[in-house]
Amino acid sequence: MKIGNTFLRGILYDNPIFIQLLGMCPTLAVTTSAVNGVGMGLATTAVLLGSNVVIAMIKKFIPAKIRIPAYVVVIATFVTVIGLLMKAFVPALDKALGLFIPLIVVNCIILARAEAFASKNSVLLSAVDGIGMGLGFTISLTILGSVREILGAGSIFGKAIFGASYQPALIMILPPGAFLALGCLLALYNWTVSKKANQF
Amino acid sequence: MRDIIRLGLILLLITAVAAAVLAWTNDVTMEPIADQVLQANITARQSVLSDASEFEEMSTDTFAGYANVLEVYKGLKDGQVVGYTIKTNPSGYAGPIEVMIGISVDGVIQGVSVGNHSETPGLGAKASDDQFKNQYNDKKAEGQIDVIKAGTPKDNEIISISGATITSRAVTAGVNAAIQLYNEALK
Amino acid sequence: MSASGLFIIFVSALLVNNFVLSRFLGICPFLGVSKQVETAAGMGMAVTFVMTLASIITYLVQIFILDTMGLGYLQTIAFILVIAALVQFVEMVIQKTSPTLYQALGVYLPLITTNCAVLGVALLNIQSEFNLIETIVNAIGASLGFSLAIILFAGIRERLEIADVPAVFKGFPIALITASLMSIAFLGFTGLV
Repeated sequence: MKIGNTFLRGILYDNPIFIQLLGMCPTLAVTTSAVNGVGMGLATTAVLLGSNVVIAMIKKFIPAKIRIPAYVVVIATFVTVIGLLMKAFVPALDKALGLFIPLIVVNCIILARAEAFASKNSVLLSAVDGIGMGLGFTISLTILGSVREILGAGSIFGKAIFGASYQPALIMILPPGAFLALGCLLALYNWTVSKKANQF
Repeated sequence: MRDIIRLGLILLLITAVAAAVLAWTNDVTMEPIADQVLQANITARQSVLSDASEFEEMSTDTFAGYANVLEVYKGLKDGQVVGYTIKTNPSGYAGPIEVMIGISVDGVIQGVSVGNHSETPGLGAKASDDQFKNQYNDKKAEGQIDVIKAGTPKDNEIISISGATITSRAVTAGVNAAIQLYNEALK
Repeated sequence: MSASGLFIIFVSALLVNNFVLSRFLGICPFLGVSKQVETAAGMGMAVTFVMTLASIITYLVQIFILDTMGLGYLQTIAFILVIAALVQFVEMVIQKTSPTLYQALGVYLPLITTNCAVLGVALLNIQSEFNLIETIVNAIGASLGFSLAIILFAGIRERLEIADVPAVFKGFPIALITASLMSIAFLGFTGLV
């Protein structure tokens, strides 16, 4: 039961983007298309899973005073490993995400989960938490990427959906569109939540 | 004092393990990464000079003194030279753009391919779309190609990507550098 | 590199490729510490200070340690440790030497370690193959650009507090939409360099 709860928390109740508003930089920067959103989300999930598991394993050996630098080293190691693997096996995605792969290190979600969850819970629970939070992040990024790609390029996952006569709203894949789309999605989320609350 | 040494040692241990893991990963991925780069280059050469079946790198002396030219390959078919591929890196809006140009021995542009770049998605990034880069195909490799914003392009003109004039000019600058090199050194 | 080249790097980092509004670096402090102009200015100053120092040090680390020893793959880990150590060091020095400055900047310093703009500018300097002077100019331009954006943004948000905003847009949604409008304004600088 506890495992199921931990898992769902990341996806729904504590969604890193819509509720906790963590990790905004990659969220806004790479979501010019749905594919980029999925790629960034999965890369972050992999790092989150790895760092959560390792930190849960070694938490007993790390004195409280140096825990932050120690966590940062663990996270940076995973980020570099994932970065190298992506360069080697999915070079197209690596190019699309560019600078934001090394910047996963400073994604606040990862350090926040290490500090708030993995340093206090068992290895298994930390792994579940990492996957849950990672998927929550991935889903949010995919939604944002899809919205921007549909409006800004008239396609989804690279496939045109509106036909040639559709004039895409270019602004959506330019920087302003990122802020605009996320702002509206957050408002939509608030609206749904407040409507639900009124029903009861 | 002893506490500090202990803390330092623990951190040192963690970083040492991290470095070892990274060194190993680097070792494992080094070859695939180099392969990817090589493969991407081969594909690009093939796409801009489809007549050739083999490519042979030419020495850097061929293009010494030409700014922005990175490498030149001779395209061969049955031992005969059929054309050249020239890789250039003109500066675009957000940094250098890799542009590969294929020119046949009779002085016609066979194809242009746009590789690594960091242009704005939706604007400059459209440079790698066929609609833009195919405009160069079959143009004569003489003089200069100009960029116009609208209207019907003449023989030596192409239409820029709307909203991305800087990128369009940059790609064209790469093509023009290749044309110049072809006329002065390869013809 | 000529003076005009340096000027182009500076303007590009400050306005055209503004770190916050067009590169999306440093969004967390941009959204988090921008409720009041005064705190925003404090954050801006702290970032300017750390970013410039961090750029110089990471540049030297890259050239003299990573490049000479062929350890390019340790870049991320080395840079983040340099930044974390630097932030701690700056905090201690300021605390000892200038209590007034510490009072002004102290709270923001720990936050800077996870400010991706600092690591971002360090990585970009290396990627763009800048030399030391260009690195410094780029870092100063980028950090002033960050300060400019966050102070302007805080000014608008102070007004938003008393504006009549639809309930579902209160808080972050309206802040993000404001940022979007600012970003459109900054798009106007495109083509300046």
